Amino acid sequence: MGQGIIEVFIAYWPIFLKGLLGTLKYALIAVALGSILGALVALVHLSKNKIVSSIAGIYVNVLRGTPLLVQMYIAYYFIPMAFPILNKIDTVYFVLFALVLNSSAYVSEIIRGGINSVDSGQNEAARSLGMTAKNTMIKIILPQAIKNILPSLANEYIAMIKETSLAGTFMLYELMYTRTLLANKYLVWQPLFIIAGIYLLVTMVLSWGVKLMEKRLSVSD
Amino acid sequence: MTNNYILIETKDLKKNFGELEVLKGISEVIHQGEVVSIIGPSGGGKSTFLRCLNLLEKPTSGHVYFEGEELTENGNLDLHRQKIGMVFQQFNVFPHLTVLNNITLAPMLEKKLSKQEAEYKAMELLKKVGLEDKANEYPRKLSGGQKQRLAIVRALAMEPDVMLFDEPTSALDPEMVKGVLEVIQQLAEEMMTCVIVTHEMGFAKKISDRVLFIDGGVVVESGTPEEIFDNPKQERTKEFLAQIL
Repeated sequence: MGQGIIEVFIAYWPIFLKGLLGTLKYALIAVALGSILGALVALVHLSKNKIVSSIAGIYVNVLRGTPLLVQMYIAYYFIPMAFPILNKIDTVYFVLFALVLNSSAYVSEIIRGGINSVDSGQNEAARSLGMTAKNTMIKIILPQAIKNILPSLANEYIAMIKETSLAGTFMLYELMYTRTLLANKYLVWQPLFIIAGIYLLVTMVLSWGVKLMEKRLSVSD
Repeated sequence: MTNNYILIETKDLKKNFGELEVLKGISEVIHQGEVVSIIGPSGGGKSTFLRCLNLLEKPTSGHVYFEGEELTENGNLDLHRQKIGMVFQQFNVFPHLTVLNNITLAPMLEKKLSKQEAEYKAMELLKKVGLEDKANEYPRKLSGGQKQRLAIVRALAMEPDVMLFDEPTSALDPEMVKGVLEVIQQLAEEMMTCVIVTHEMGFAKKISDRVLFIDGGVVVESGTPEEIFDNPKQERTKEFLAQIL
């Protein structure tokens, strides 16, 4: 059995810390950029034009209906092959690209759901005052939708923290990657429990934060 | 009470929801200054007719003219709608805005009123309906009747030429109804053109220049309140009135 879990953690904690920071960073990048892209996808999806709308629908279905790991492999191997001009770019970015696209699909559904959850009477009232569709969206619908969107977005971040573990497969320095590093030192089982413990701790703390946020947001109803 | 200027005209207005024909061809005229009440059984098409007048409901066929221009999705619909105030059964006040901002938002955004102008006017309107002390509250602090009065002055702030009321008192507790009806009556006395879908028969009788009885997607009968309520000619009108009076 060799060393125990605590001994391994004490000896290598800077590695785990660096891994955790990498995980938090990549998840944040994925959700932040995914939110921007996802907002655009949601707007396209909400379009009255059925053809335009269905393009966004297909985008969302493909990205949510296929495993993230497969998407990462495609981004990692296929994109540089198909576009040789991109060969000089660090492969890290291709993996991140897959994370962002994947996140955008989930976020776009969160945003779309948030917008649809606003009572249709709000839209009717604004439009019957002569407000333009754009002003109605910005001043009436989105401020109300955001209450539903924010907690779900935070939950998406929590989910993404776990999803990024797949990125370790491609040598991105995140929490799961520390397993590979320490396996080289013949530490096989201890890092797994440490990693699991860190994931659990982080997601529990963040989930508690989301609950607090939901409480705060519902007070103003 | 009315003059001959035609404010709203519909020509053979039809509306289907899927297979269901809700409006089967309504041609009507609303004159400037006229107060028209629309009565009839639920599901008869009266609310749908009203909602077609500002194209919240898009007619399946037929035409709606407002101040001589046809209303279409592409035409200056937003500009026309500024002139057509609408009040809903469920109030639809904006919960995330204060009472004052509920009123000033659209005039500032769409009519480019300055903040001072918009707020001055909003306060005048709030005084008129007895809500001036609620200006900085959020709508959740208001009763149903207060919300509806807010919704009315929010529409009035755009200085509309006509007000459409879609069952404005149906969602109110009984003790709240009177205050809202008084506001509508005051508007009518000020010569505002009003089209009111209502179940308040006493009110309709008192306030209206003309009453439309809509059932089965058509205007079954129209006339003065006396003609409709006291001497209805159509069997369906008689039956309806017998049931509710």
